[in-house]
Amino acid sequence: MTRTFAHSLFHISKKENWNFRLFSLYDTRYDLMSQYLPAKNYTGFNNNRLALGLASIKEASKADIVILNHINLSLIGIAIKLINPKCKVLLIAHGIEVWRPLSFIKKTFLKRYCSKIICVSNFTKKQMMIRHQADPDKCIVLNNAVDPFIKLPDTFEKPEYLLNRYGLSSSNQIIFTLTRLASSEQYKGYEQVIKAIGHLKQAFPHIKYILSGQYDSTEEIRIRNLIDKYAVNNEVILTGFLNDNELTDHFLLADLFVLPSKKEGFGIVFVEALACGLPVICGNADGSTDAIKDGRLGTSINVDDLSELQDTIINYLNKPLTLEKRQNLQNECLLYFDERHYRENLQKLLNDEQGA
Amino acid sequence: MCRIAGIISNSSVEFDRNEKVKRMCQLLKHGGPDDEGIFNDTAAGVTFGHRRLSIIDLSPKGHQPMTDVQQKVWITFNGEIYNYLELKKQLFGLGARFASNTDTEVILSAYIFWGIAAFSKLRGIFAFALYDKEKSLTYLVRDSSGIKPLYYYAQNGQLCFASEVKALKEAGLASEPDPDWQIRFLAYGHIPEPYTTLKNVRSLPKGEFLCWNHKKGTCNIHSYHIIRDKAYIDNLDQAKEAIKTTLGYAVNRQLIADAPIGVFLSGGIDSSLITLLASREKKAQLKTISIYFNEKAYDESMYQSLILKQIDGEKFTHLVKQSDFEGFLPQIIDDMDLPTTDGINSWCISKFAHDDGLKAVLSGLGADELFGGYPSFNRIRYIKSAKKYPVSLFKLANYSAFDAYKKIAFLTYNHPIADYLFLRGLYSPADISQILDADITEVEDVLFANRQLPYIDNYNEQDAAWFEINLYMQNQLLRDTDVMGMSHGLEVRVPFLDEDFVKLTESIDSRIRFDKTRPKKLLIDSFTDILPEQIWNRTKMGFTFPLQDWMRENQEITNDSLYRGRKSKNIIKAFKNNNVHWSKAFALFQIQMHA
Repeated sequence: MTRTFAHSLFHISKKENWNFRLFSLYDTRYDLMSQYLPAKNYTGFNNNRLALGLASIKEASKADIVILNHINLSLIGIAIKLINPKCKVLLIAHGIEVWRPLSFIKKTFLKRYCSKIICVSNFTKKQMMIRHQADPDKCIVLNNAVDPFIKLPDTFEKPEYLLNRYGLSSSNQIIFTLTRLASSEQYKGYEQVIKAIGHLKQAFPHIKYILSGQYDSTEEIRIRNLIDKYAVNNEVILTGFLNDNELTDHFLLADLFVLPSKKEGFGIVFVEALACGLPVICGNADGSTDAIKDGRLGTSINVDDLSELQDTIINYLNKPLTLEKRQNLQNECLLYFDERHYRENLQKLLNDEQGA
Repeated sequence: MCRIAGIISNSSVEFDRNEKVKRMCQLLKHGGPDDEGIFNDTAAGVTFGHRRLSIIDLSPKGHQPMTDVQQKVWITFNGEIYNYLELKKQLFGLGARFASNTDTEVILSAYIFWGIAAFSKLRGIFAFALYDKEKSLTYLVRDSSGIKPLYYYAQNGQLCFASEVKALKEAGLASEPDPDWQIRFLAYGHIPEPYTTLKNVRSLPKGEFLCWNHKKGTCNIHSYHIIRDKAYIDNLDQAKEAIKTTLGYAVNRQLIADAPIGVFLSGGIDSSLITLLASREKKAQLKTISIYFNEKAYDESMYQSLILKQIDGEKFTHLVKQSDFEGFLPQIIDDMDLPTTDGINSWCISKFAHDDGLKAVLSGLGADELFGGYPSFNRIRYIKSAKKYPVSLFKLANYSAFDAYKKIAFLTYNHPIADYLFLRGLYSPADISQILDADITEVEDVLFANRQLPYIDNYNEQDAAWFEINLYMQNQLLRDTDVMGMSHGLEVRVPFLDEDFVKLTESIDSRIRFDKTRPKKLLIDSFTDILPEQIWNRTKMGFTFPLQDWMRENQEITNDSLYRGRKSKNIIKAFKNNNVHWSKAFALFQIQMHA
């Protein structure tokens, strides 16, 4: 999402004739994808915190607005305000990084130095207010948007090469999950889907579950054990890492996207799936509900309730979307989440802040 | 076997297309000395060319480009399909009929019956172009281990392809040099896939197919690899048994040939094992080719004799001397196609195999990468430890008085390619910028930007295997082996890279697969019944030539007045004093040749 954010900011700045620089702590300059942002606007710090801090303070001493993309940069935010008190420092609050107790420095930054908190979802905004007593007027919700460079489909047939790759046919009902499969992040809920598939395979003998995303070896063993335990060896396909250029085709291949996660700040993957005309099921206890526009675009469920998950999957599988309906779903999703819309909101937010 | 070329273009004139494809075929003649064929579809703007090296079905029925009975599909094919008889049987059951005994016809039939699902059923070494007349589509397809090469140039609604880059260049289809090739070459010691020396001429990734849409004049590239539930072996005995069976099967099916076939025997574990396994099948018909040197430090003839004593069949051994190297070098450089610091050994042994009457040989390539036979499998741990230290520390390596330590500067970059280059690279970015008189940021950008790579963070043996298989073996060993073999009309087959054997190896628990007691312990233990202890319990030499001495004796390579720039001249002077490795001098030599 940072790429879309950078792309939007670059175009807003160009339009408004502002100077815009993007600093990235963890990336290097080789990570820059120049279609999003020209190299002259970008610096990657290759994990060098001190260099990032010094460069940020130097740049911010003449800046009007600084946007911190993570709460962990609070100290830099405080330093900027002390050196350049007129500068407005904004924070983007994503998800779990702010849904937890914060250190004294972070709290101080939020309370005294942060002008606005850009929350990626209403859920995150609520968390900011409940957990950190953030001023509601300071918290602005700005939902994430579809990547402007994602290849959006104009036809919705299942790609033949992927049917071949996974040994599938048009008679298969395909459920798809794309997420990072990390042993340290066991809240994504795909184990619930594996369990559900185990129960559903009798009623839906052609059901297949494609579980994609980079995994570590510990998690791979855990997932394979789960697959054995629920006897879904023939139903579950673990693909591992997916290349960006095959992402859209996987959304087209599937009949339903399911990620019953508990800790999505927003869940950009839901919006990407919807933008390819793929219906989604998400969790109801995190930021995902914004991505499905509170039920208008998809269905949210209690992720701990296995039968609710199963029933919802059954509903979708019994009423598969026609190609025309997939087109409609794509259109509706883009109505809310295309980059143009995002850029307008971001520009308004920045204009308001500058004028404040 | 063979070399292929072609052009697809709606805008070009048939005569022009035909002439260019013929020209490409002429340039590729060395890899296909037995026959030539051209196919034209005037209306569709398709021209395919083929140079044939006959190995299976030596009759004229194997002439290519080939079509099916109904002339719906056309193919120009380079390689071998080892399971073609199994597929043929299956297709026969489905109603297919065949006019020849070739594997080429089986690919055509498989496509007609199974569509693109056919690609993943093929086991072998292959690169082909397949034109589907009804669908107005052309597929370029490459084998899953990237053993056979295929280069393409897709620009302005036109697709050109060839087995070697020089064909595209010399036929005038793509001539603009890639401005960055020298940077890549000096860093890697070769040009890494998908890049070449020509701008926008790319290598088709292994295990992938390019689909060219004739109507739109555009293409998509996708993997045809089939995802199957991965088997997992964590039992040592089961692993050994499976290795024994699967490798034996791979060797047997790769011995299929109607022309004379042999084995490269260096005297190391891998080639000895392949020789012994092949000998069980071919017995007295198996021919072996070995090289030996007067320089004792490089001579493996004692180990070769140990194996040769155990087998029947004709045994060819060749002494290679400094004077041979001097005589061969100009031709070796001419045959390289793309600059490389390796391949001299492959060129020589391929020449001898060809001169001894062989058309195909088996090689032990691939075992080191699959079973942890290289020092990089241990060294990779240092990278993980090094990441804990400030990167500025590693920048000091640029000032090292010892040339070998300069590569430590790669640890400055938090990038998988830099990690690989720390293990396998030639020159550091600072050296490259001085040699080429380029800005260091430009060098860094060329090396590290815009590459989508898997996330490497464990720095264990599996990650080392990923580097070795996908970078070193793919870009250097396999490319050099193919191009040097084909320059003598010799097909080199690699049983360790048989798709089923690779899959089996990857399914073995890494604690068993990379047993730390001894490099390649699992492979050795699987074959202790046939592999003599003197072969596996010896110091690894690799298939290397005494090139440090030979190149230092070479008047041209060591003539520092040939080189431009003070840095290059100094490196050559240091090389003469034996303070620089020959591969660095050889790389500079090739750079100055292109200047």
